[in-house]
Amino acid sequence: MKDIAEQEVIDLDDMDVEAFNDFATEQGWSDGMPLYVPTEAKVAKFVETVRGDNRPYPPVPPRQIVPTLQALAANAVMAGCKPEYFPVVTAALRGVLDPDYNLHGTLATTHSCAPMVMVSGPVRHELKINCGSNCFGQGWQANATIGRALGLMLLNVAGAKPGEMDRSTQGNPAKFTFCFGENEEENPWTPYHVQRGFAPTDSVVTVMSGEGPHNLNDHGSTSGDGLLTTFAGGMATPGANTIYGKGPMFVIIGPEHAATLKRDGFTIESIRQELFARSRVHVSRISAENQDTYISTGHKPDGDWFTIARAPEDIHITVAGGPGKHSAFIPSFGGTTVACTRIAR
Amino acid sequence: MRIINPTFGLAAAGGAKVALKPVNWATDAIALVSNSKPNARELLSGIRDKLGAFRTVDNIDFLSKNSASQPAPKDLLQEVAAKYRGALLAIAD
Repeated sequence: MKDIAEQEVIDLDDMDVEAFNDFATEQGWSDGMPLYVPTEAKVAKFVETVRGDNRPYPPVPPRQIVPTLQALAANAVMAGCKPEYFPVVTAALRGVLDPDYNLHGTLATTHSCAPMVMVSGPVRHELKINCGSNCFGQGWQANATIGRALGLMLLNVAGAKPGEMDRSTQGNPAKFTFCFGENEEENPWTPYHVQRGFAPTDSVVTVMSGEGPHNLNDHGSTSGDGLLTTFAGGMATPGANTIYGKGPMFVIIGPEHAATLKRDGFTIESIRQELFARSRVHVSRISAENQDTYISTGHKPDGDWFTIARAPEDIHITVAGGPGKHSAFIPSFGGTTVACTRIAR
Repeated sequence: MRIINPTFGLAAAGGAKVALKPVNWATDAIALVSNSKPNARELLSGIRDKLGAFRTVDNIDFLSKNSASQPAPKDLLQEVAAKYRGALLAIAD
């Protein structure tokens, strides 16, 4: 009999869900939450949804195996996805396989990064992906399971086992799932995927290896200028990987903050410019030893200030969330990129 | 019941194994490669000093990646393969 790891289809004695979960945990397939059973019949339904996408997958680092569609679908089934979510999950996987995303580095690092998955375009409504209130939180099957399916693929296909290949010092709750939709309807500027050159009618998945969202609370400012002061202050943090000045980051603006900024004449480009200029960190907030580390890795201060990005273009901006005076800053791993993939449909 | 193995995959093409020749640590050229994290160089310096107690260190060199968060560039890997018989990697953090 072949070892289980060498078999695509595994014959098991009939067992209930609890027994399957015990079995899956023993195999190392679980993220710790209950799993659905990836039966052959259920997996087949998922595979059918991506039959039009015949592009081969490259080897997935760090494990460097070429996944089969069935194995990928098995992870989506286990995560609790509906079959129609699967093209979104595979698009997210293609995004993290962009060489500039640096999947090996983002999975093996001691940093807490998790794959942020943002969905744009009509598919958000078709799949009921939450773009509004509590969009980073619980309560929506699509958000919860699409992000989780990608996480299970990185565990089971890529081989990012916590404490072994995944060397994160503390991890991050976003490693369970981190998926949300853009709130395009309340975005007074251009939806993110359109900023990146896609058509408004395209459905697109954007991925970035990020920290969890850092809240940017501002109930007091009534001007766009005031909001940017708060945003920049929240972003100017010596403890985020972006302080090395070598990677992208997202500012996800809540709709009420976005409306204020738009009213006061700010554009995405001018917001970027302002945040880049104002979010610099003064040397007095960074220890001398840590300054040496930054400088030795090529990130020199501009006078008495360290920038948190290479250029304003590293600051990616869009709108998500519901009513309220909150926005979010999502710093990245650093040595990564923001990758967009059109969902094949 | 029949389930699909969520870890299943095919071996990538071109993954041929390389035959390794034994390294003579007493004489061969050695690359000391840093992952560019703090203290990696210090760790390697200690190793070089220890090696210096029983061999010449003229052909033991320090190399490093451009960035701690990025893979080693191809030209660095080619340099190590071309010039050295052994390599010690410091994965400091």
